[in-house]
Amino acid sequence: MVDPARVPPYLLTGGRARPVDENLAIEAQVFTTLAGRADIPILQFEVRDIVAACDDEPLAVVEVASKLGLHLGVARVLVGDLVASGHLMVQRPPIDPSRRVEIIERVIRGLDQLD
Amino acid sequence: MDWTSSTERATRRPPIPVKIVIAGGFGVGKTTAVGAISEIDVLTTEAAMTEVAAEIDRTGHTPDKTLTTVALDFGRITIDAEIKLYLFGTPGQDRFGFMWHDLTEGALGALVIVDTRRLDDCYPAVDYFEKIGLPFVVAVNMFDGKLDHELNDVRWALAVGEKTPLITVDARSRRSVRDALVAVLHQALTKAGAR
Repeated sequence: MVDPARVPPYLLTGGRARPVDENLAIEAQVFTTLAGRADIPILQFEVRDIVAACDDEPLAVVEVASKLGLHLGVARVLVGDLVASGHLMVQRPPIDPSRRVEIIERVIRGLDQLD
Repeated sequence: MDWTSSTERATRRPPIPVKIVIAGGFGVGKTTAVGAISEIDVLTTEAAMTEVAAEIDRTGHTPDKTLTTVALDFGRITIDAEIKLYLFGTPGQDRFGFMWHDLTEGALGALVIVDTRRLDDCYPAVDYFEKIGLPFVVAVNMFDGKLDHELNDVRWALAVGEKTPLITVDARSRRSVRDALVAVLHQALTKAGAR
């Protein structure tokens, strides 16, 4: 297998530097759709690896990059493509300000429970 | 956890990802702090592709000097059945500023870790967080359990206002890092309530 670190990033993305989804947060959760799972045998290379990895558990975009040894920018482009093609679904960070207070309070409670 | 059953998938609530940024100069203890509290080993990803590829697009060839990357360290804490907290350690210097938008967009807040022997290293991060209005706390890392400066001297040197909490942290200690993160979140609550 080719060491992904030695492949120029632009070769993996067809020369594109920007994701189709400019607003794809690096912590957004990505998971494989049923259609994506069905296509795993026919997908290739990095794209297949991403769809397979996100079928096990939801992963953040940044976790996809780290797990597969991809540059973060490459992972964003490829994940954006796979969401557009219906292979992946994405769960974004909450942006509703009224939700924010409740979420911050829950995070505080969660941290307080750590030893 | 078994994520593979489609019926289970239909009933499971989607995860809510949130993040806190941990900024500071090299060697100040960012990665140590992330590692002290993360439930997974600290992971690293390279994060300079946009810059590299933009240069390639413009010139049609690959100039070596743009092929530099920066390592972005991160960890994760599962807060409850839904919320996953991500911690991103980022170098605080200007030359990594191209990453800061992605890092801070939607972040709950930031922890700026400071080494009193190299205060300059954290100026750009403090400036940036103030400019974009991201709630943050300044934490002086206690190397060997002692402070080289009084906290008030540090506040004066960094020119951060009274409303920005200034605390100490032991980046090696899980409890200490936990308390620092809670301080960031209280700052975030104050800011959210003030809106």
